[in-house]
Amino acid sequence: MGAKVLGAKCTSCGVVSYPVRSVCPNCRAESFEDVEIGGKGKVLTYTDVYALAIDYETRYLRLAIVELEGGQRVTGQLLGDDPKLGKAVETTIGIVRVQGGKEIRGLQFLPV
Amino acid sequence: MNPVYIAGAGMTKFGRSEWSLMKLASVASLSALHHANLGEIPVDGIVVANMGAARVNRQTALGSALVDQLALYPATAEAVENGPASGASAFKVGCQAIASGMADVVLVTGVERMRVVNGLEGTDFVASLAHPEAEYIYGVTLPSLAGMFARLVMDRFGVERKHLAMVAIKNHENGTKNPYAHIQQTVTMEGILTAPEAAVNNPPIAEPLHLFDCCPVSDGAASVVVVSESVAAKLGGPKVRVAGIGQATDTHAVHDREDPTDLKSVRLASEKAFSMAGVGPSDVDVAELHDAFTILEIAESEAAGFFPRGEGHLALERGETRLDGKLPINPSGGLKAKGHPVGATGVAHFVELTWQLRGEAEGRQIKDAAIGYACNFGGFGNNVVATVLRREA
Repeated sequence: MGAKVLGAKCTSCGVVSYPVRSVCPNCRAESFEDVEIGGKGKVLTYTDVYALAIDYETRYLRLAIVELEGGQRVTGQLLGDDPKLGKAVETTIGIVRVQGGKEIRGLQFLPV
Repeated sequence: MNPVYIAGAGMTKFGRSEWSLMKLASVASLSALHHANLGEIPVDGIVVANMGAARVNRQTALGSALVDQLALYPATAEAVENGPASGASAFKVGCQAIASGMADVVLVTGVERMRVVNGLEGTDFVASLAHPEAEYIYGVTLPSLAGMFARLVMDRFGVERKHLAMVAIKNHENGTKNPYAHIQQTVTMEGILTAPEAAVNNPPIAEPLHLFDCCPVSDGAASVVVVSESVAAKLGGPKVRVAGIGQATDTHAVHDREDPTDLKSVRLASEKAFSMAGVGPSDVDVAELHDAFTILEIAESEAAGFFPRGEGHLALERGETRLDGKLPINPSGGLKAKGHPVGATGVAHFVELTWQLRGEAEGRQIKDAAIGYACNFGGFGNNVVATVLRREA
């Protein structure tokens, strides 16, 4: 993944799939254009998870589902203290995992 | 479609085991075959359910391996991998073989040996079912999905941590009555929630879920023998009919669902299973739900249709889901106390229900249980198999 997180905008009906899929769930068309995913939004839910997968050396991770302006929802890492349902955040791109020495970039949420 | 019956059921004790993957699978298989008492009637095929052996045990082609262990060649053999719903999926495949007339006797065995790797590896192998680009890379694990789900459900429907604790207390109590359960220990509200030491006894795993909201990591295997009507008639004895099976899928990424608190796949799978069985949720005498996390028992009890949406925790509070309640849920101890060897879990549901419907669930028998329901919850709700079993005279 590069410095952007991409969704797939259906060229037929305009509905955005994130994550991307091969068939539009709205109109079943099979043609898409890239669209950048991100912006301002609100925390829909979050957790501090201590049951971690491999690749993490931290004690816990703070993960969230954020609803972006326009309704698109995304999963990512929530930064900052004092998490709350409905908290206003904006997306940034950061290193979310290091897999076998390879840095993987993805969505992080910063308090606004 | 031809009728399908469960003629025998058996399992290993769940927990930490020194046995190999195939030893676990063999012991459960033989106990189910002995229970079925097939005599000279041949086994036409076997279906093995498993999720992680390719990664954690470095073994594949488990159907072929088990057929050899049991010296059942040239019986057909295959393995089904469908995440945490592997067990009920494999069972469905076995039932389809009978229902189509292609087979008369099929052995279905679920097995997992996951304590052989450390906690991080074990958590990661299960997390690999999450969406690779939109969830997994962020460190999403199953507990984290359950934690985010729990926070939303608790906020929306007034479920409190004490309700989650009630699930754990009930299922641990039931587990002490099941010699096959991994955890043989009761817990109290004080010990896991209200006493000062509860903070130490019950640390957070994925807030708001704590240790006693999560199932243990277990090794184990469970088996059932499914047969045609003609074989069931030859065997005699109590008859457990596979009355209905329903399956439904949902979006891979949890955030993609219209309402992330709605377990739509449980609802749709259950509706299909009940419709096929010609009964409704209020007819069920005993249910085995997929309580990998305490919140899931509450949410599934609503989505399956047993209680109105947002009221599962109230039914729990009233004691309706206890062994002596109107609808006992998880008499086996559930995943919470019985344990969760992932590929075995869905089959273990049928083992418990078969024993219950045959009146063989010593110490935890639900009186006159005639209709049983099971929910095998795959992914974080993206692939669910619901099943209705019925005792026939």
